[in-house]
Amino acid sequence: MITLSQRLKRRNENDNTPVPRAPIRDRLLVKEAQEMSQLLPASCSVHYPNENDLSKFTLIVQPTEGYWEGGTFRFDINVTEEYNMVPPIVKCSTKLWHPNISESGDVCLSLLRRHSVDSMGWSPIRRLNDVVWGLHALFTDLLNFEDPLNVEAADQFRHSKEEFKLKVMEYVTSYAKE
Amino acid sequence: MFTKVAMADENDNERMDGDNQKLEKMFTLKKWNAVAMWSWDVECDTCAICRVQVMDACLRCQAESKKDSYGKQDCVVVWGECNHSFHYCCMSLWVKQNNRCPLCQQEWSIQRMGK
Ligand SMILES: [Zn+2]
Ligand SMILES: [Zn+2]
Ligand SMILES: [Zn+2]
Repeated sequence: MITLSQRLKRRNENDNTPVPRAPIRDRLLVKEAQEMSQLLPASCSVHYPNENDLSKFTLIVQPTEGYWEGGTFRFDINVTEEYNMVPPIVKCSTKLWHPNISESGDVCLSLLRRHSVDSMGWSPIRRLNDVVWGLHALFTDLLNFEDPLNVEAADQFRHSKEEFKLKVMEYVTSYAKE
Repeated sequence: MFTKVAMADENDNERMDGDNQKLEKMFTLKKWNAVAMWSWDVECDTCAICRVQVMDACLRCQAESKKDSYGKQDCVVVWGECNHSFHYCCMSLWVKQNNRCPLCQQEWSIQRMGK
């Protein structure tokens, strides 16, 4: 958290940095990245592969309770140039057994839907903070699995919580241990 | 599809900044100029899309006017039938992909435009 704000400060001081290609996104990101790091859920951390680029980062979720407890799950988040008219692109790079995340890493979260028919989709009033908390909630709340991405996992969850739990743990042990 | 229903906490966080700012502004205004109170709501409304006050130029126009020296761009405010206001620049970009007010989700139709 401290390093991020220090970095933001440094960025502002260096006025000889090249003109950004996406000035709106970058201006929003300076504020939103700071807000996100300040309001991060306890089980989450954020890592920037290139510290001069706030538009690409990895969110790491380490649930301390629930089905996925003990796992380390990585989400690669790409805030494209059209932000905040479009949501960030999110890919889960850790293989896991989850009704809303496919085994290839696609994430089904209403917030991240660009064209939404209801009020739950993306809207420019959303912030990175909402995205982080939305992803975090995939591991804490199990509210509804209509239209799941992993149909088999959703069916299993409906029919046998025990089997579901075993399969989740099997995946955690094989793919999600640090 | 995973739909988060219990969003109250997050939304509180989300608006925390804006509300604090508003409270601060309302307080100082009241202190030094009670006459200006009637127009406070309009004057201090923040565009929820670019998070700049609607009475100032939007983030996009600000970024552009920094580059060219042709002076300030005419960045106007638009009010919807729902009474929510945004920069016209910001809203016209958004309605291209979703013709609803981002704040109340009502179908967007312009009530008036101006400064
Ligand atoms: Zn705006
Ligand atoms: Zn503008
Ligand atoms: Zn509205």
